[in-house]
Amino acid sequence: MWREIIIMSLESLLAKKTRTVLSMLGIIIGVATVIAVFAIGQGAQNAVNAQFQNLSANSIMIMSNRGREATGSSKLSVADAAVIREQAAQVKSAAGAITGNVSVAYGGEDKSYSLIGADSEYLSISNLTVASGRFFGPDEVAGKEMAAVLGATAAADLFADGTDPIGATVTVGAKKAEVIGVLKKVGGRLGPLSVDEAVILPNTAAEKNILGGRGMVMINIQADSVDNIEAATQEITAILRAEHKLKIDQEDDFRIMDAGSMVATAQETAKMMSYLLTAIAAITLLVSGIGIMNVMFVTVAERTKEIGIAKAIGGKRADILWQFLLESVILSMLGGLIGIGLGLGLIPLVAKINIITLAYSWNGPIIGFSFSVLVGIFFGFYPAFKASRLDPVDALRSE
Amino acid sequence: MVNAEIKLISARKSYYLSSGEEIPVLKGVNLTIAKGEFVAIMGESGGGKTTLLNIIGCLHPLTDGEYLLSGENIGAVRDDFTLAFIRNKKMGFVFQQFNLFARLSALKNVALPALYLGRPRLERENRARRLLESVGLGDRLEHRPSELSGGQQQRVAICRALVNEPDIILADEPTGALDSESGLEIMRIFRDFKKQNKTVVMVTHTATVAKFADRIIYLRDGQVISDNYQLASKY
Repeated sequence: MWREIIIMSLESLLAKKTRTVLSMLGIIIGVATVIAVFAIGQGAQNAVNAQFQNLSANSIMIMSNRGREATGSSKLSVADAAVIREQAAQVKSAAGAITGNVSVAYGGEDKSYSLIGADSEYLSISNLTVASGRFFGPDEVAGKEMAAVLGATAAADLFADGTDPIGATVTVGAKKAEVIGVLKKVGGRLGPLSVDEAVILPNTAAEKNILGGRGMVMINIQADSVDNIEAATQEITAILRAEHKLKIDQEDDFRIMDAGSMVATAQETAKMMSYLLTAIAAITLLVSGIGIMNVMFVTVAERTKEIGIAKAIGGKRADILWQFLLESVILSMLGGLIGIGLGLGLIPLVAKINIITLAYSWNGPIIGFSFSVLVGIFFGFYPAFKASRLDPVDALRSE
Repeated sequence: MVNAEIKLISARKSYYLSSGEEIPVLKGVNLTIAKGEFVAIMGESGGGKTTLLNIIGCLHPLTDGEYLLSGENIGAVRDDFTLAFIRNKKMGFVFQQFNLFARLSALKNVALPALYLGRPRLERENRARRLLESVGLGDRLEHRPSELSGGQQQRVAICRALVNEPDIILADEPTGALDSESGLEIMRIFRDFKKQNKTVVMVTHTATVAKFADRIIYLRDGQVISDNYQLASKY
């Protein structure tokens, strides 16, 4: 019996191909959106995880907090790292970094690169390797020496004529610096910066000679244990406030975050994004459902006579209800399947654009498909119900 | 009458306009039809012929009065399940415009009422095939209605009416859309129902068609004005 009713539904959908396809479009787009939402959500989650995978639980990060009226400018400096190292009891290590943009020239014209003012341990912390020459040591950091290490792309650009960069003098900002090393190509990005396109100087020299107050200062701290994160944070805050000579009524001119709260913030952001996209998907599915309801009403109106005949030859209300309900469910289910195919097919294409991270997720197809079936039942029920309640004589009389 | 198959007592039927105005169509019809009778209902347009047929066919509820079907009063029954079952199992409808499903083959059309009754597929298709063969359409089983002539379509419709072996056949102008030769063929089939002791109620306004019936009832303005037995024409 069900087999027959399903076949009859399919036949009537096939009889109106254009209408069937048009009414499925909404649900196709809706389900493809659901797939995309979950791919983006999963991608954002993966990105958060990747960003923090090297971050140990006892990490604390301090950044300059500028632009607040209370303090005006931030006094946070890479030198604060040394102060924290010396004064804080619950801190294992502290490394300061300053980043900004700078123009670099070798002989010819200037080019803009990222400048990373780093600690001597930057190489090992960031898992980088020197291709030729060497990285600067603690003495050069302490001596604020202009010893430059070039990213692979930056080196290839600046020394396109084939000169050996090691020992050459380049102009960084307005200052001369000696190239002492070139890094191996990294390929991807490390946080917001591409190391390949960067010039790395000792943080002290970069801050004093080039970036001054315009650089972005960041101090990475390892607390001596995870349990002491809270205490270490308070200790560091007190030290920096004293160092920056902040009055009691002034706000901190720095932001201090521990690993746990940073991960939580990033996850919160990723979650907000997926809520937003879920809302968009829900609206799309709602609109597509209304479209299906509309089409089903047209179908019922067109087939009023058939409904009358079916009733006259002994069709029950339930038979007619099922007939139309199945038709709308099949319609939306087919749309759902096509939408899943479309969504999954689009993920690799979108992923190539490289703006947002996407990842396959099983939840997308499963939820997308379930929703398409639910939309078919929910929005198909009312037209099917109306069809089943038609007066047989009135229905027979219609043309 | 002991063998009363269909009995209407003071049957009234009114339609109501949206303004609430009552339009009476049947104004107290008393009618008894015995099992195996072939009855023609005649009368002017608007006299209530089709309404009477629809009431006998359980498509309309009565406004007032009683309807006894095989002795049971079903005039007050409103339950869809029961009424659908009666239409499905006890009655078979034949219409002027055939009213076949355009998308279904002849075989599927005939088998449909058996599907509503929940018969297994093999059984209903075998029965449909036998019926179509008996009216000379054994080679048209997979044809759609649009591929058949009017007379052939009406024969398919008659097979559909017979598939659940009903006791009563209800026909509304069954020859109205056919040429005289095809119409004669249909009447021949109707006469054969007598041999199976099936009751036939047929609405027509054509005297030559009504001649095939055992009895002619005239309706005018919602009332029976004459009811006569006749010697049925032998085609």
